[in-house]
Amino acid sequence: MDFLTNISPISCSLLVVLLPFLAFLYQAIVGRKARSGNVSLVAISLSAILSIYLFWNQSPIESNIEWFRIGDKRFFLGILLNNTTLLMQALVSIVALPVHIYSKAYMKGDSGIHRYWMYLSLFCFAMLGLVVSSNLLQLYIFWELVGFASYLLIGFWFTKESAAQANKKAFIINRIGDLGFLIGLAIVYAQFGTFNIVELFAVNGLAENWFSQVNSLSGTWLTVAGCAFFLGAMAKSAQFPLHVWLPDAMEGPTSVSSLIHAATMVAAGVFLLATVFPLLNETVLLIIAIIGTTTALLAAFFALTQNDIKKILAFSTISQLGFMVVGIGIGAWDAALFHLTTHAFFKCLLFLAAGAVIHEMAHFKHETNLDFDPQDINFMGGLKNYMPKTALLMGIASLALAGFPLTSGFLSKDALVISTFEWAVAKGGLYYAFPIILIAVSLMTSFYIGRLILKTFFGDFAFAKNLKAAKIHEASKTMIYPMAFLALFCLFIVFSWNPISYHLSWVLKEFNLTYTFEEIHSLHILIPVILTVGSLLMWWIGYQLYIQKKQQVKQNALFRFSFNQGYLNEFYAKTIIKPTLLLANFSYWFDRTIIDGLVDLLSKITVALSNLFAWVDKYIVDGIVNAFGSIAYGTGNLLRWVQNGRLQSYLGFAFTMVLLGLIYLIVI
Amino acid sequence: MTLEVILFYAFALLAIGSALLVVSLKNLARALFLFFIVLFAMAGLYLFALADFVAITQILIYVGGVLILMIFAFMLSNKELLADLQNTSKQFLSLPNWQAAVLAIGFLAAISYGIYEWQDFTPDWITTNLRNGQVIKPTDNTINEIGYKFITQYVLAFEVISIFLLMVLIGAAHISRREEQA
Amino acid sequence: MITLTHCLVVSACIFCIGLYAVLAKRNAIMVLVGIELMINAAILNFVAFGKYDESNYGGQIFALFAIVLAAAAVAVGLAIILNVYRKNKTINLDDITDLRD
Repeated sequence: MDFLTNISPISCSLLVVLLPFLAFLYQAIVGRKARSGNVSLVAISLSAILSIYLFWNQSPIESNIEWFRIGDKRFFLGILLNNTTLLMQALVSIVALPVHIYSKAYMKGDSGIHRYWMYLSLFCFAMLGLVVSSNLLQLYIFWELVGFASYLLIGFWFTKESAAQANKKAFIINRIGDLGFLIGLAIVYAQFGTFNIVELFAVNGLAENWFSQVNSLSGTWLTVAGCAFFLGAMAKSAQFPLHVWLPDAMEGPTSVSSLIHAATMVAAGVFLLATVFPLLNETVLLIIAIIGTTTALLAAFFALTQNDIKKILAFSTISQLGFMVVGIGIGAWDAALFHLTTHAFFKCLLFLAAGAVIHEMAHFKHETNLDFDPQDINFMGGLKNYMPKTALLMGIASLALAGFPLTSGFLSKDALVISTFEWAVAKGGLYYAFPIILIAVSLMTSFYIGRLILKTFFGDFAFAKNLKAAKIHEASKTMIYPMAFLALFCLFIVFSWNPISYHLSWVLKEFNLTYTFEEIHSLHILIPVILTVGSLLMWWIGYQLYIQKKQQVKQNALFRFSFNQGYLNEFYAKTIIKPTLLLANFSYWFDRTIIDGLVDLLSKITVALSNLFAWVDKYIVDGIVNAFGSIAYGTGNLLRWVQNGRLQSYLGFAFTMVLLGLIYLIVI
Repeated sequence: MTLEVILFYAFALLAIGSALLVVSLKNLARALFLFFIVLFAMAGLYLFALADFVAITQILIYVGGVLILMIFAFMLSNKELLADLQNTSKQFLSLPNWQAAVLAIGFLAAISYGIYEWQDFTPDWITTNLRNGQVIKPTDNTINEIGYKFITQYVLAFEVISIFLLMVLIGAAHISRREEQA
Repeated sequence: MITLTHCLVVSACIFCIGLYAVLAKRNAIMVLVGIELMINAAILNFVAFGKYDESNYGGQIFALFAIVLAAAAVAVGLAIILNVYRKNKTINLDDITDLRD
């Protein structure tokens, strides 16, 4: 045990990061033969155990090694361990573990499973490396790597056209965000000359003292840097209007969606914002809050009418990310991280449960040869009779999502909403819009998740008459156990002894953040009550609508707006893609007509020149050569006459030569 | 001008004039007979160089042998051939003739020039012999001397030339043999 | 007094006439005659120079050799001419161009 206890936290954390990387290398090298994924599973298990061992209340510790040097600028690779990074590391590895186990059953028999494990390990490595990075440059590198792994996993079934499109879309939109991140990095480096997170963002660090720097950039740059970092977070955390990639990212395997596009990677943006929080000034924070609220509202609104089970969850994720971003915006980044943590578990569970349902539906579809979309909730219903455990687990997760009392979601969500309310009270005026919208969004959240549960698990099964041909089974144990494990984390008990008051949760206690606004006690009673009662009301309405079918849902403009996801994709198609295509066409035309024209002209000139040269060659050069030839020929012809076979001629020549010789002798 | 000189010029003119006629005459028979005259004149000129035996040999071999041979050959050629040759030679100055004449005159000029240029530079051996009086005198019995020389000093050349003559005899006989008999 | 120069001049004239005959005459026999003239010119030179060499008699001896060689040449030459005539039915040297390529 000495060996274990003596191991330094840094090397321990390094191990946490590197184990999945080794698994990735193993999968990459062994390739097609490594189908079981046991190596990845073992690696992530060890990572999870080590990160739990490391977890919580380490004194902030940092270790760097010099990576490279440009002039006198030194760049480091390093690991930073503090409460935030440890929380994130533990979260990622703990969520990744059940997903790995689940994947063993879910991805069984897929022809590309060796790639799946490889990508999954790569993602874990990148994500774990991201959260413990000690400087922004390293963080950026892992940020890109995470995006790349996500790209690979979204396009995992790359033969499917929609998957290929989706991963392209995700990649391009993430590029926009990465550009922002990069600009932010450049500004920070220009201002402070360091990337080190502790130096920059510690209490009373460099970022808080922007103007005390020698040769400081103007305050505008501070705002620009904040916006740039936020742009990076927007793309990664799918904030409006860059959220469009996330619903499409559901083309990837559901297990991947649960890990990457619900629990971990999309939270990286929130994590980044929490990290660079001291850099964000009032303006940026307000922008963040506005964007966050808009995202939360729109995404929840879109989620109301979607029929694809994964799309609903995707919009739900976006909406919840909006909550977290609002948390950052109001300065309660501890609440944001708290919600991030709880959300990771229940959203992951929701996805896994949805995956189990889809798995069964797809199986059913395959058995019965019926033609329907296995992800469409309209074709489900009454599944609680066939998959009771899945239904139960998903129900728990839904309650957590809706923020029902006794769940973890209740704690974190209330923390956010109440903090927002208090912040709005402190600010006054129009700022009241934020908490009101958030409350509305919470109610909408309850409604859409209620709709999902009701349509999926209650009512009558759409294909009940086909049940003779094929049965719908409970999900296998390898799928149920990880889900149960996650369900445990959806309960309040894991985060706080007190199911009512979020202030007592250890996460918030340890961050021990001082808010800029006053605490209002009445709200701590009022808002949970409003939310809970509202949720119950919403579920009742949903029950009336979808189960009792009391009233038909009207397909009005709002519905269509929601169903078509706010026409954002169409909007982008019209405003961005079309002009881009036009530009591309123009460029193509320009290239063809002008550039190629020039090239053609050049080539024509060349051809003309070469023709000239050919002429010169033919008539001048060859002419000269031919002239020599002709001279030689003529001379030969002339001399041929000499060879006429007449002895007298020969003799005459001989004597002529003798005579010439004599004359030569005489003259000389 | 002594008789000797007059005679020399006479013989010289005879030789040169006859030779010119030999080369300018179209008639082969006449040319061959004029060739006699040339050879006689040449033999006469040898006498002025105190080579009486050579002169006699000249007459014997040329007139008695070579010329007879030539006339014999001329006799063997048919008349048509001779007529043909005469006909083709009707032109006074055909191109090859003209060239040959130029060449011949060129040679004459070159040789004359040489003789003129070097007539004052008598070779050493001649001056030495003149000083020592070792020149052939008209009173010398050259035939005796030549006979001795042939079988003493020049015996090798003499024998070689006899073998050569034998070879020529055989060769000529062989060449002129009729093809059918070969 | 007959000097060496006299003989040499005459010899030169005879030689050139012989040369002309060799080059200009179409009849092979006349070419042979030309050769004889040239040889005679040479013999004249021999004897003219030999006059100053009493001890060796080189000039006259070689003149005799030359005469013999000339005779031999004529004999062989005539034999060749005869053969050529038999073969080509002509002794016109213009028509005998077998050496032409």
